[in-house]
Amino acid sequence: MTLNHYKNELFVVLSCLIMCLAFFYKETRLSLQEEQLSSIKREMKEVKKIVALKRVWADGHLSQKIDRLQSVVPTSKVKWQKRGKKITASYQDLTSKELNKVMTKLMNLPLQITSLNIVKKDKNYTMECQCKW
Amino acid sequence: MNFMGNNKEILLVYREMTALSLTHPVNIMLTPQFYTMKKEVLAIRYHYQAKKIAPSIFEGLLNREQSYEYFVFKEKKAWVFIAYNPEEIKHFLETKGIPLSLVSKLFFAQQAQEKFMEPVAVNQTKVLTTIDGVVVLLPRTLLSDSRNITTFDTHFVPSSGISLSNNHLLIGKKEALIFTTLFSLFAGLFFIEGWWYSQNLTAQQREKQALLAHYPGLQSSLQRESILNKYRTIDHRERQKRETIKKLASMIFKGVALREYHMDEKHFKLMLNCNSTEIAEKVYFMATQSHFKVIRSQKSPAIVIEGNL
Repeated sequence: MTLNHYKNELFVVLSCLIMCLAFFYKETRLSLQEEQLSSIKREMKEVKKIVALKRVWADGHLSQKIDRLQSVVPTSKVKWQKRGKKITASYQDLTSKELNKVMTKLMNLPLQITSLNIVKKDKNYTMECQCKW
Repeated sequence: MNFMGNNKEILLVYREMTALSLTHPVNIMLTPQFYTMKKEVLAIRYHYQAKKIAPSIFEGLLNREQSYEYFVFKEKKAWVFIAYNPEEIKHFLETKGIPLSLVSKLFFAQQAQEKFMEPVAVNQTKVLTTIDGVVVLLPRTLLSDSRNITTFDTHFVPSSGISLSNNHLLIGKKEALIFTTLFSLFAGLFFIEGWWYSQNLTAQQREKQALLAHYPGLQSSLQRESILNKYRTIDHRERQKRETIKKLASMIFKGVALREYHMDEKHFKLMLNCNSTEIAEKVYFMATQSHFKVIRSQKSPAIVIEGNL
């Protein structure tokens, strides 16, 4: 029997097949688009995140801002050592008020604290901190 | 592969024919024994209009007890109307050993009237020939001996024919047309939608390109990942250190004095002096709440809090 006998059925099946193919094409394109879109969004998020983190932890003006740690208490109480991107600050005879001031300042600066030592001697404190950026 | 079945063998079907045993598909041409024909010159332009009026053309000519279908075609200026009884034809074909499933197309001899100008032998006694533009079946004896009689073959096949409706068991022509149109429409829509999805990314890609052009150092994904990991680790550690210091600072209140504090990259240790056991109890509670390790002697007011960063 030739296909001509089932011409009508053949046309319907073929058009249905083409519709299915078109549907799969559309679905593939859609999933591909979603995939690419999420990839683009992820990449942009990454870039923005890096920029934001760099702005905090690799601030170009940080070197000047750090000097405030030196001026927060009388200079006689501070021993300041700055080498490249590292500092060692030693504070002597700090009152509790001064200690609070130094600590607040330190906490608010985007420095990487490598070591921090506070010891109470009589009524005053000595503090030593090593930081890098 | 023969899709349309036009190259098939064509059988000339007449009442007196002998029974066959067919095994292959064939086309069939019906002699005037199976149809009633009328030719009219009408002021009709379209085929569908002619088909619509076909029943009225045969008014009073056909047997009312039988049901007829109509085939219409144009022959020069005239319209040719053919009335046939499909059931009768089907029944006849089956009795002659021609299964309907093997019948591709049916043609009427009138459709090839120009080719029957020369008489065509139907059998030993009868011929088909055109007289006054009408194909008729005549006894051979009516023809003069000088007339050349040709044989019937595939070159008699007209361009269009009919299919017996039994061949389309599942879907009729109308339904097929509706379904095909509908499916094709959806296919088109799906293709357009798919194409649209593939074009839709350009805006986001442009935005990304602009951002990366501003930070050319971040174009490589490996580089980005490495930088991100570096700063993420720093950010996480430093936030943790500051958070810990904040929590420990909240434990130093009235009645609590800081004795010593040490912190490096991995650990911290805080030594506090408390004025009373009640205050020490409170500090102990706060430290345990923050999941720090607390060392406390019952007799001493000193508390040591330590932990990892």
